[in-house]
Amino acid sequence: MAQRKTKEDKTPIFESVHEIEKYMKNRVGLGESFDLGVRKLTILRKDVHFYYINGLTDTNYIIAIIEGLVGINDSEKLSANLFKIIENRLRHQSIEHIKTMDELVDQVLSGLIVVVGEGEGEGLVIDVRSYPGRTPQEPDTEKVVRGSRDGYVENIIVNTALTRRRIRDERLRFEIMRVGERSKTDVAIGFIKDVANKDLVDLIRKEIKAIEIDGITMADKTVEEFLLKQGYNPFPLVRYTERADVAAAHLLEGHVIVFVDTSPSVIITPTTYFHHLQHVEEYRQSPAVGTFVRWIRFLGLLASVVLLPLWFLFVLEPSLLPERIAFIGPNEETNVPVIAQLFLADVGIEFLRIAAIHTPTPLSTAMGLIAAVLIGQIAIDVGLFVPEVILYVSLSAIGTYTTPSYELSIANKILRLCLLVAVAIFHTPGLVVGLTLVILLLASIKSLNTPYLWPFIPFSPVALTQILIRRSMPGSKIRPSIVQTKNRYKQPVK
Amino acid sequence: MAEEKERLEQDQREKPMSFMAMVVITGLVGGILWSGLAYLAYVFNFTEIRPNVILEPWTIGAWKEGWLGTLISILLIGAISIVAALIYYAALRKFQSIFVGAGYGVALFLLVFFILNPIFPGISPFWDLERNTIITSICFYILFGVFVGYSISYEAQEIRGKTEDEKKARTDPDLT
Repeated sequence: MAQRKTKEDKTPIFESVHEIEKYMKNRVGLGESFDLGVRKLTILRKDVHFYYINGLTDTNYIIAIIEGLVGINDSEKLSANLFKIIENRLRHQSIEHIKTMDELVDQVLSGLIVVVGEGEGEGLVIDVRSYPGRTPQEPDTEKVVRGSRDGYVENIIVNTALTRRRIRDERLRFEIMRVGERSKTDVAIGFIKDVANKDLVDLIRKEIKAIEIDGITMADKTVEEFLLKQGYNPFPLVRYTERADVAAAHLLEGHVIVFVDTSPSVIITPTTYFHHLQHVEEYRQSPAVGTFVRWIRFLGLLASVVLLPLWFLFVLEPSLLPERIAFIGPNEETNVPVIAQLFLADVGIEFLRIAAIHTPTPLSTAMGLIAAVLIGQIAIDVGLFVPEVILYVSLSAIGTYTTPSYELSIANKILRLCLLVAVAIFHTPGLVVGLTLVILLLASIKSLNTPYLWPFIPFSPVALTQILIRRSMPGSKIRPSIVQTKNRYKQPVK
Repeated sequence: MAEEKERLEQDQREKPMSFMAMVVITGLVGGILWSGLAYLAYVFNFTEIRPNVILEPWTIGAWKEGWLGTLISILLIGAISIVAALIYYAALRKFQSIFVGAGYGVALFLLVFFILNPIFPGISPFWDLERNTIITSICFYILFGVFVGYSISYEAQEIRGKTEDEKKARTDPDLT
């Protein structure tokens, strides 16, 4: 960290603008990098320079500012207190004084402009940033039939603004900090001060400040890995969302949100397994419909994890089946062992999914068609697969897709394959012990001091009812206890 | 300052449910849930023991073998589980590890299958049981133990943390 020490050396801003120019040439590559520029003005016979990055600043603002500065020559006579006059004439609301070269470089590289004057020894930072980016759109991964269509974008300022638009509370806080020695990415912690648990906020702040890495180009994911240290556990320990309304709802429940610049998804903490099973759509429909949707979703989840191993067990040991459903199991003999068929089919679907991520949309439609219609049928015709294998693998694949959280659905898929292997080796005990171990493992996970299977294990009757039944908003008066909020009540209790 | 005081009062979380009520409900739900799942395991022949064995010591009508018997057995196991939960609450609630809960489950298993075994004619002597039955039963007992034990320990820990917080809030003026 020797390098870091020197970086933090506070070289004051030089009195002479030529010294500053020399510094910028040596350290930041003025003249070498084409995107860094300096504009030199002479105001009341004194040199005034400002530095900018040409893609990140808005030229219109800069022109207006130059007009204002040059206008000083026509209307003022005395050059004493020049910097005061300049500050007064800068046509912008957001101006900041800085003293060190380090800050100057940081600010310029962030897309602000810094005005320095001969003999002043300080700089004026003007926020004229205009980052390239898209306008808020509906996120692909969290679509709804009704409800707002604006999603987070890659710009942290827009993201916090989208959140602020939904919660105009004076106690909503966005604490910003910089992460990455080289990338200097902005990371903001969002929380409502009198609702969120202070210990949790402190913990997250401490962990984020402790990150020492050159850059976090994978933004929120990297921050999450530093925050939670989950190793090779495939289950997602935080929930991501790209929807501003979801983030706002969680803020009001007392969760802490982490925004990372350059990423359209934000981190919601603390999270439990059941947070990954909720979706906005449930809250946009009437409570009954929402509950119905949720139960079907739970069924889909069960299907995605248990259905395939269970069916495979019945194939191995048909004597386990009760008489009424004894017809289950392959009728025809095949040459390929069923476990190999299951793995081939499941891996085939995984091929499709992975391929679909980076295939252009028109091609992926064609690809889906080939996969669905051709491969399955032909695999049966040539005698590779039993029809039932296709049926159950497809069902569990669809179950995987009903899981709202993409991360959780893949973790469940891995879990399913592990259970299949366990059943193949140990038969009935494999399934029973496997499921028990999984439940114990999940129950023992703690994500930011929050038990992962809460409110199931540890059991919390009230909270579990709220998960099984989507309550109507006027009926849910209490914030979930898991976030250990300071203020439990969403609504005054009459 | 007045506002601050008000906020502090708000901070004090009102318990929606007393600890004892929570223990009782946890025991009840745990018993019903896991014996219900155990019945499912019986339907799929993972185990030879059905919840109905609990009714066997009593000579009552033939209904005890039917669906009504199953339902009543499951509810009865729920009621007995309340006792199990209360014992855990009395003896073990200060341990936080989930393995204590798992151990409690194993202890219950040993109790039922070795010591109480003669009461239930439906359960064969331990050494005559099928391997699958034993493994499945142990798993259910462990899951029940973790469900009840970890829930109670967690709640106890929460309450302890909360009283400490409140103590801190009373002495530390910065903590608002």
